[in-house]
Amino acid sequence: MIKTERLQGDPVESAPGMAWLVGLAAWFIPGAGHVILRKWGRAALMGGAVWLSFVLGLAMGGHMFDLTPDGVTAASLSDWSTMIQVPPMIANFGTGIAYVVCWMMDIGFRDDPVQAARTTYEYGNTFLLIAGLMNFLTMLDAFDIAAGRKS
Amino acid sequence: MKHFLVMVLFAALASIVFGAITKDTNHERWVYGAKVFAEFIVIGLALGWLLYFIPW
Repeated sequence: MIKTERLQGDPVESAPGMAWLVGLAAWFIPGAGHVILRKWGRAALMGGAVWLSFVLGLAMGGHMFDLTPDGVTAASLSDWSTMIQVPPMIANFGTGIAYVVCWMMDIGFRDDPVQAARTTYEYGNTFLLIAGLMNFLTMLDAFDIAAGRKS
Repeated sequence: MKHFLVMVLFAALASIVFGAITKDTNHERWVYGAKVFAEFIVIGLALGWLLYFIPW
């Protein structure tokens, strides 16, 4: 029976604690979830794609998002210009440790007009967003494998 | 040309992940990944030409 055909009354098997740990590791270090599961090929392909996308995004001058009001267009967290940064921030946040380290070192977060004028700026943004979104997919894949829902 | 190469790179990275998370066998995954890659390129080029003729 495929997932979409599951009846409402069917019991849903809960995932073991190990699966949650694998999922957390997969989010925090892209590729780590599959390494833990000894899926070397997938770890290299999927983790490699995420890391490469992230590094290329930064190299192209892409910008990452957080919820810090810039003080010019937004003075507080409740301003629309801050709130509109939530979806891209969630996407960026998907890269786990890469996002955290860049945030702590203020790499790629500053609003720099020179950086924004680069031809590859928008490409960089897209690569950074996609890196995070791809890692969410990678994380879910690792979780499903660890939970025994797929091979 | 640079824009096209960046698009190809983007399509390659995204299709690797899409291919890896779907299907059951490695063969099916490679086929699906290649299909997604081709779709990215074809649709990207088609949209590029479509937008080229729109003046605004």
